[in-house]
Amino acid sequence: MAKQRPQAGRSRKPSAVKSAKQSPANRAFYLIAGLIAIAGIGGLTYASMHSGAQATASMVDTTLPPVKSEGYVMGSPNAPLEVIEFGDFECPICGQFNTLTEPEIRSRLVTPGIIRYRYIDFPLDMHHNTWNASRAAACADEQGKFWEMHDAIFQSQDRWDTEATSNPDKVFKTLAKQLGLNTDQFDNCVDSKKYQAKIQAHLALAEARKLDGTPSFVIGDRQITKGLSYDEFKAMVDSALARRRSDSAATKPAPARGAAPTP
Amino acid sequence: MRRMLLCLVAMVGLFIAAYLTLYHYGVIGALSCSIGSCERVQTSRWSMFLGLPVAAWGLGFYLLLIALAFAFMQPRFAEDRRLALALVILTGWGVVFSCYLTYLEDRVIHAWCEWCVSSAILVTIAFLLAIAEWRSLRALPLPGGVSEA
Repeated sequence: MAKQRPQAGRSRKPSAVKSAKQSPANRAFYLIAGLIAIAGIGGLTYASMHSGAQATASMVDTTLPPVKSEGYVMGSPNAPLEVIEFGDFECPICGQFNTLTEPEIRSRLVTPGIIRYRYIDFPLDMHHNTWNASRAAACADEQGKFWEMHDAIFQSQDRWDTEATSNPDKVFKTLAKQLGLNTDQFDNCVDSKKYQAKIQAHLALAEARKLDGTPSFVIGDRQITKGLSYDEFKAMVDSALARRRSDSAATKPAPARGAAPTP
Repeated sequence: MRRMLLCLVAMVGLFIAAYLTLYHYGVIGALSCSIGSCERVQTSRWSMFLGLPVAAWGLGFYLLLIALAFAFMQPRFAEDRRLALALVILTGWGVVFSCYLTYLEDRVIHAWCEWCVSSAILVTIAFLLAIAEWRSLRALPLPGGVSEA
């Protein structure tokens, strides 16, 4: 392509072209572009480095009474560590965590007895149908099928969430039928909002911990709000178990002075 | 000056799209979202388009826009009307797609993502700049002696 640019007067050229040829404007452009690049790359680097599990975990408030009989528990009562999830059935990240990460947690940590897993409802205001989901799960628990309903609810999130329907109970009743629950009992339970107070009590537990979103996990003496990957979850479990071991070793009579772990 | 501004606007958009893409692929754990509910939008089923995250399409869009805008700043393309038209079409498509995404946020997902809204504003600014450049080129008389091989 051969192009011969006319040697026209200044008035014929677009302003931007004139500016592009002027070195002060060019310098300003490259300066601003450089600043944007530095800010952008710096921001992205910071965001990616500070999204690790350990980086955003905070200490559990030890003045709060321990959670004993609330929520729904899976795993051995003798497991050395209990992990609590504060979850919202309508939260998409909770849905992802449940479908992608939780199966691995169950098979590799819960089933072998390394941890015990407790789920507590933390219905968020922004999710209009999440209370219905929590009540449906509680009604399934009444028939001994909480975890089956828990999984079914998360896996069908797009069928009953706020954007999908204004009558989520209809979907939960179908799920109950598929799970082989006594449908009359389940339907009555759901319709009468039998476990509303229980869900409110669960919400109060989450609020007492000043959790700011879902899913939130209490793993030993740390709590974190994030859709953890399995590796992040496992790393937090490992460090909680290690801290517990070192704490119990420290409370035993020390075999030799100076052997206690440094804080 | 407008062409430089167009390039700078595209750069800002590129980093927003990169941020959302990194979030989508799990490199960034949680989105910074002071207003609205970005994660709800970014994890909704509408966050995917033709098998790729919408944010990744945005990344490609802004990269192409930067390349074209930067070329448009070069003296050899100073009066290239086809490049001006290409920028109008590209940013126009960006505006249409952003309108669709904004409609989804408002009417379907019922949640707002401030990063998506920022990107929509940037695309609109880019479109207006591209239109202005195209119009200023159209206003010029055809340069004498131009020969296209």
